[in-house]
Amino acid sequence: MWRAGSTVTASSKPVIELKNVTAGYYTAEGFKTLKKVFKPAITKIDLKVNDGERLAIIGESGSGKTTLLRVILGLLPPLRGDVVVLGEQIYRVPARLRWRITRQIGYVPQDPAKSLNPRLRVAEVMAEPLARTDLSEKEKAERIRDALRIVQLHESILDYYPSQLSGGMMQRVLIARAIVHDPEILLLDEPTSALDVSIQAQIINLLCSIHEKLELAMVTVTHDLPVAQYLADQAVILYRGTIVEKGPMEEIIAHPRSEHARLLVTSYLSGLNGLDRINRAEGVSAGIKRETQR
Amino acid sequence: MVLAVKSEGLKIGYLDEQDNVLWAVKGVNLEVSEGEIYCIVGESGSGKSTVALAISGILPPHAVTEGELYVYGNLVIRGESRSYEKIRGRLVTYIPQSPGTGLNPYLTLGDQFYHVLKSLRGSTRKEAKAEAKKYLEMAGLDPASTLDRYPHELSGGMQQRAAIALALSTGARVLVADEPTSSLDAHLRLQIANLLLRLREEVKLTVIFITHDLLLASRVGDRVAVMYAGSLAEVGKLREVLLKPLHPYTSMLVDVIPTLGVKKQLKCYSGEPPRPGSNDEGCPFFDRCPYRFSKCAAEKPRLSLAEGDRYVACWLYGNRE
Repeated sequence: MWRAGSTVTASSKPVIELKNVTAGYYTAEGFKTLKKVFKPAITKIDLKVNDGERLAIIGESGSGKTTLLRVILGLLPPLRGDVVVLGEQIYRVPARLRWRITRQIGYVPQDPAKSLNPRLRVAEVMAEPLARTDLSEKEKAERIRDALRIVQLHESILDYYPSQLSGGMMQRVLIARAIVHDPEILLLDEPTSALDVSIQAQIINLLCSIHEKLELAMVTVTHDLPVAQYLADQAVILYRGTIVEKGPMEEIIAHPRSEHARLLVTSYLSGLNGLDRINRAEGVSAGIKRETQR
Repeated sequence: MVLAVKSEGLKIGYLDEQDNVLWAVKGVNLEVSEGEIYCIVGESGSGKSTVALAISGILPPHAVTEGELYVYGNLVIRGESRSYEKIRGRLVTYIPQSPGTGLNPYLTLGDQFYHVLKSLRGSTRKEAKAEAKKYLEMAGLDPASTLDRYPHELSGGMQQRAAIALALSTGARVLVADEPTSSLDAHLRLQIANLLLRLREEVKLTVIFITHDLLLASRVGDRVAVMYAGSLAEVGKLREVLLKPLHPYTSMLVDVIPTLGVKKQLKCYSGEPPRPGSNDEGCPFFDRCPYRFSKCAAEKPRLSLAEGDRYVACWLYGNRE
């Protein structure tokens, strides 16, 4: 689009770095007390995402995925640890200046229907991330048009309200909004979980092409392992707030080492992955077969 | 062969603000045998949940019906009239999508069983407790640790098992499960699927399994009806439909599902399903179909026998009566 691309090499610089991060929430100890105790949702997280890299954060309900996302987005200060985004410790700068760093993150929320202001037209939704930039009105309009072209939406959609859009179109608008200000990082929170399977496939293909075109770092949070294998090359598996496994996506699928990753992989391979036709026709690696037989 | 559920030309619609009927289900013929796990697969707006509500007897009052629906030979829908006395909650029972909403948050599981069984059979607390133990065990839960708990004290998977146990305690012979696993994690989905398979064997339960997840359907189902825009696109044995889909829509559904360990190209046709109330002429899949020809736009294909016991609504297969 409008940004000089970068490529993933061994020397790629990290765009997100979490060092020994523990974060969580203060909750009341019980019904009859006002005393609050800290309950960690993620514990001792070490994570690095390089420029242009595609990473999936995989975990089940309650594993701490959303908390981790909030920490990276600058919305939840951790109890301990360092959060470095684009070379800056985001929780060491004053909160009023933090947005200058975190605005370089494009964010696609989970549920498209609940994430768009019903009173704003698509044009206004798309213009929001550009509000605090130095761009002229003409340049802003051009960027919005470019973003819509990338997500394969017609310009006429700018006059629509969210209620006039289908689920797939809403998700495309949210993706366009996330990339309109030319971010360095794209953060996707369960980008396909609220969509039907045929629309899910369209969005997966779209996100892959966006990553190819814009060459930005893409972090996908999901519970769906088969979807993750399309959207990421690297993966971390979260379980009860800690990282139990990390490594290349294909390696984790073929040879899951931790008990939880194995449970996750075999849930799909032994049951939910039941399309034998595809498995037979296109071949499943020997490693996966071994895992299934365990 | 005893038919648990049978429908003929079943149409179900809802009245809009101008009192026009928007048909969500447009003439569906179903035949579900006793003891069968029958999957109804489709995307949002395909009408699958409306069919589930009709079979369970919980259609909203403003719904409009046409055609006929039988449950174990009892005529429950005949044209505009609906009669579910002695059927709803007794012969047919329903478990909703979210496990939490199927249970009363103010009552312990034991109390919920008592209220259900008291209203159905006039059971005493002691009798209800004995029944509850039996059905909780059947659903794979430990009665000693769950009977006195409130729903919020159980995990999602346990809540769904408890909802299934409560549904079975009514003695119902048909269980309508509307996306029972969509809010659960992968290994819990598999557990619920295995539970339904076991219950079919143990109590000869007939299950109408509504889902958008073809992979899960392939795990549990005997036969499948694929719905698109309120009509049946294809009906057949699940394995055969998945191995050799005939209708272009079924074929697309099989091709777009990400499969773990197999990085295939996700072939998807552009476009989205038509909205309710849109033009009903021609094939509903016309706009997205790569094999369309002139007849498809002019005339809607009817569900007809294509090969073996496979029914397909597509002009590619001659559409014989």
